[in-house]
Amino acid sequence: MQHPDRFDPLDPATQPVVPIPGYPNTQRRNPARAPFRRVLTRTELTGPLDLSQKLRPGDDNLAMLAPGRAAQGQLIHVGGRVLDEDGRPVAGAIVELWQANAGGRYFHPIDQRDAPLDPNFIGNGRTRSDAQGRYGFFTIKPGAYPVPDSGRWWRPPHIHISVLGPGSLMRLVTQMYFPGDPLNGLDRILNSVPDLAARARCIAASVLPTEIAGDWLGYTHDLVLRGRHATPPL
Amino acid sequence: MSRPNAPLVPTAWATIGPFFPNTFFREGDNDLTRMAPDAPPTAQGAPMWLTGRVLQEGGGPCVNAVLEAWQADAAGRFRHPRDPDWQQADPGFHGWGRAWTDAEGRFAFRTIIPGAYRDATGPRAPHINLAIIGSGIMGRLATTIFLPAFAEANAADPVLASLPEALRPLLVAQPDGLAEDGAPRFSLDLLLRGDAATETPFFED
Repeated sequence: MQHPDRFDPLDPATQPVVPIPGYPNTQRRNPARAPFRRVLTRTELTGPLDLSQKLRPGDDNLAMLAPGRAAQGQLIHVGGRVLDEDGRPVAGAIVELWQANAGGRYFHPIDQRDAPLDPNFIGNGRTRSDAQGRYGFFTIKPGAYPVPDSGRWWRPPHIHISVLGPGSLMRLVTQMYFPGDPLNGLDRILNSVPDLAARARCIAASVLPTEIAGDWLGYTHDLVLRGRHATPPL
Repeated sequence: MSRPNAPLVPTAWATIGPFFPNTFFREGDNDLTRMAPDAPPTAQGAPMWLTGRVLQEGGGPCVNAVLEAWQADAAGRFRHPRDPDWQQADPGFHGWGRAWTDAEGRFAFRTIIPGAYRDATGPRAPHINLAIIGSGIMGRLATTIFLPAFAEANAADPVLASLPEALRPLLVAQPDGLAEDGAPRFSLDLLLRGDAATETPFFED
């Protein structure tokens, strides 16, 4: 695989602006000082080429914990491509996904909200993009939930996605939202991205049932990592 | 808005939130010396631990932060085609690891003392790249950690030397005894937000 060799700075308008009003951890945990500039050299431009021995993939069905143990909720498939900025597929990227259950509760000791846990839903998985950069997960549509002590902030249904591409700068942690949800426009995290087009790209697209086989609703969501090629594609 | 000739714009980052699955972590994920959790550690280089705490504004612990480490092998090589000598890199050394912080904000990585090398920017002192993600952190907080035994190399390192002199010690881990396996431990605290004299310096990616 050809590796990107050019990493332009991220356009700040397309990335979250911190601190976010009404989200105190964005104040406590982000530096007051602007980051120092440095020349990007091999230590920053390299990174693990293949993490599949360390972060083992093979867990891409969150909706079926074991045969006969289907999770509650709307069965969905979320998939798309991992691409670089030139639109080239990023093969072999590790894609991690985690989410709340259909009732909007995470299987996590920190989440003590009074919403039901689903004994058949853990809500996390890991896969690896194929040679065309494709990834995909079977899961259920997560529920919305209120953020404690936040003054009526509800997180819209969303899926957390972590991508580890072949280089430290090809790292991405993002959240995917569902089209048409009225909570999207009120979400403090989604709204922290100033550029409206960048915000809209965090929302997945529905796939018409006539376009897919199987008893799942489909969503597509491409993930664009940093990195360009000094030599343009042929 | 979008950059010239760039057909695609990188996806917007977001926080991992408070619920990054603890089931994603397996024993050995924080060990850079192994190619896989069940593989033997590399035979090259001197083992060490990098430990410390991640602290938030006010000095309290940052719980459930995730740290990702990346460094060169004992000879200063990265197993990645961006390193001209990558095919000579130690085949038994992975160089990447992931750790998460406990209730006190503590983290630990097992690794080997990284090698020095020279690149186009000058002589690079032994160093470990760290990136922090966590609840409320909306991107990667990237920094580079140096070791106290290499004072001369540290002084010549172009990245460390680019910082105001008073801030440089904040990126040099300090000796902290021996770990259970007998390897030396180097420790430092990473303060995500604080006054100008104590906040950890972070770098633009």
